Amino acid sequence: MDVFTIIFEKILNLHTLLALLMGVVGGMIIGGLPGLSATMGVALLIPLTFGMDPVAGLVMLTAIYTAAVYGGSISAILVHTPGTPASAATALDGYKLTLKGEGMKALGVSTVSSVIGGFFSGLALLVLAPPLSLISLKFNAPEYFLIAIFGLTIIGSLVTESLIKGLAAGVLGLIAGLVGVDILTGYPRYTFGLSVLESGISLIPAMIGLFSLSQALMQAEELGSTNKKQVINELKGRVLPKWKEFKSIIPTIIRSSIIGIFVGILPGAGGDVASWVSLNEAKRFSKKPEKFGTGCIEGIAAPEAANNAVTGGALIPLLTLGIPGSSTTAVLLGGLIIQGLIPGRELFTTYANITYSVIIGFILANILMGVCGLLGARYFAKVTKVSKAILTPIIIVLCVVGSYAIRNNIVDVYLMVVFGVIGYFMRKTGFHPAPVVLALILGPIAENGFRQSIILSRGNMLSYFFSRPICIILMILIVLAVLSPIYMNKFKKANMQQD
Amino acid sequence: MKKVISLVLVMCLIALFALTGCSSKNAETPKENSQQPSKEESKVEFPTKPITVIVSYAAGGGTDTGARILMPYVEKELGVEMVIANKPGGGGWVGWTELLNAKPDGYTIGYINSPNIFSGYLNPAYKRDATIEDFALIANHVVDYGAIAVRADDKRFETIDDLIEYAKNHEVTTTSTGVGSDDHIASLKLNDKLGTKFVAVHGKGAAYGKSGVLGGHIDAYFANVGEVTVPAKNGEVRVLAVMAPERSKFLPDVPTLEEKGYGKVYSWSARGLAAPKGVPEDRLNIIIDAFEKAINNSEQVEKMNKMGLDVKFMKGEEYYKFLKDDEAGIIGVKDLLGW
Repeated sequence: MDVFTIIFEKILNLHTLLALLMGVVGGMIIGGLPGLSATMGVALLIPLTFGMDPVAGLVMLTAIYTAAVYGGSISAILVHTPGTPASAATALDGYKLTLKGEGMKALGVSTVSSVIGGFFSGLALLVLAPPLSLISLKFNAPEYFLIAIFGLTIIGSLVTESLIKGLAAGVLGLIAGLVGVDILTGYPRYTFGLSVLESGISLIPAMIGLFSLSQALMQAEELGSTNKKQVINELKGRVLPKWKEFKSIIPTIIRSSIIGIFVGILPGAGGDVASWVSLNEAKRFSKKPEKFGTGCIEGIAAPEAANNAVTGGALIPLLTLGIPGSSTTAVLLGGLIIQGLIPGRELFTTYANITYSVIIGFILANILMGVCGLLGARYFAKVTKVSKAILTPIIIVLCVVGSYAIRNNIVDVYLMVVFGVIGYFMRKTGFHPAPVVLALILGPIAENGFRQSIILSRGNMLSYFFSRPICIILMILIVLAVLSPIYMNKFKKANMQQD
Repeated sequence: MKKVISLVLVMCLIALFALTGCSSKNAETPKENSQQPSKEESKVEFPTKPITVIVSYAAGGGTDTGARILMPYVEKELGVEMVIANKPGGGGWVGWTELLNAKPDGYTIGYINSPNIFSGYLNPAYKRDATIEDFALIANHVVDYGAIAVRADDKRFETIDDLIEYAKNHEVTTTSTGVGSDDHIASLKLNDKLGTKFVAVHGKGAAYGKSGVLGGHIDAYFANVGEVTVPAKNGEVRVLAVMAPERSKFLPDVPTLEEKGYGKVYSWSARGLAAPKGVPEDRLNIIIDAFEKAINNSEQVEKMNKMGLDVKFMKGEEYYKFLKDDEAGIIGVKDLLGW
């Protein structure tokens, strides 16, 4: 009883609430701008929290984290410019809806799903942190390798038009993922003597190029070619999804939240992986998978619930074991330690007041984020009514600034431009940039996982993999993922003949 | 036609912003601001404008956090702003290359991390010409000695002797944050001196190794005192030995390898500050004095200790020798690294 009053006192004071609001609004802005990721937002604000009350400071940092992941989707939906890698998957269906003039609905679905995903992950953090952190320890190199392979099977189903083109784009991403120092031998691969490339092709500039710059180039072209380009119709309708629509996406949201929490607790995978995997699972479980990619709300709900569920999930191993589950939580670790809060059991015993206040603050941040999002949606959506002639240059400016900001390095801007041009020609020729990004994320995870497994297995690879229960489950899932489309097709054909 | 024109315009725009990005960076780093002739070295009026501190790792990392704790105390001494510029990449060498290319006027300094800085040029694959001799050393800030730990419930290795005895006849996997990292070098030094068969499982970042040990996937946790103190207190790991000349004040019960009779096997990761060679001596001395006071400031020391990091101020000959020892240690296991 006493604990509750202390916690409420800690949260319900002006100082903390103000920090909460600042974190949410600031996070949404940082997330919405391409290149300014959640990680950077948290890193930049940590020095500010030095002098703050621990609860207020940490609530602000976790609020930034979750709000930035949500904010990244707003720009992904409205202008096909994912603000964070975790929101790239949302751009597929989200932007299609915007083109149909239903941007507001897309924002509504995204907001509701993000809030629910984040809320669930907060609850998991509050109630299930210790057991979940033990599960996360069961995962190591062999499991990461298999998870990455499982993720790569998505490429086949991600692009509906042509399997071959999807796979080709995936291979391009895998090749790009080879650039950089080989972690297991220390050899710099394909770096052309550039130190910057030793840490590999940065995901964010590549993603900004492939998604945003290529989009801007297409739009610039349209501007010149026709005058009767379709202006996005009146912004129709309401922000909150109708009850019927909401009911139809509930299963997707719950499934994606679970996937998100789960991927979040794994140190080797983050929101970017979770959003793609849950998008694919939503498609697999859907009765109308062909609607994905054409602007369906499940295609937004799935990645959105997942990427926000990752935030709470990633805090679990951080708080219980001091093992960050994502790059943002790695930075948060510094913020915790500076406040004298050392991750581990003590956080839940000696410092329980502070820890639980922060967790409840994190849950509140998710709700507040939803309120801000729903209130603001009408105004955010106005972006789509801005003339392309004005919007396109602004997006290009943001692309350049964003890719520079990520490491303060001009080479990243050049990389962004190269990927932008590649993305432009890919779209012109019927390829999709999404498999490139997915493969760029998963390729290095798969490679390192496989090669670390070789060392760990001491040369006895097969029995090592088969002696690990989680590996066996993952291998079964992979086989099912690869074979299921073939069966489904046969099944459908048989059905059609019967009709 | 219009299509082409608009495309060309867009590309121009990109080029324009790429360039402004470039020049704004230059404005930030005072190295290019060469308007004021810096010839009045006789009556040193230094510093008169903000000093850029290049941190070769991302914002929020260990080096960055340490820098952000220290700099306010340096600002108090020097009376100018210390601007931290994060230049991550290339295992640190993106930032170090930029530091070496900066104008040696004392307005650009940077953090140097060992042994990472040595691995970056001792490994012939990187084809780097620069060495530690190209830096003008300022002061050392932090030394974090190596530690060997195992999972707390690992019954096989109760003491360091158990581990080493076992490793002489069996392959034992160890954590490492990369080829040529201090953890990796430490395991190679043991293999070299004691004939053990430690095999490093390199991972990206420290999280991989820690979760690997706690999950029982990797046998031995080769890390630093700053990384094992808290897990040891939490009862997650058992620290078997530290690789330092003397016991750590954070782990007073843990023996050193040396006192256990395994010889002078030391390992550490250290970070300090340096400027590009060629900074006028009087300016360098002003900087060194300021850092001496700031690093020895008890409030600063306390803050760093809270993070589990041991502050150790060194300058001049002492610091140089400390770094050269580290370099010699890596050169000693070059064969094992295949360099």
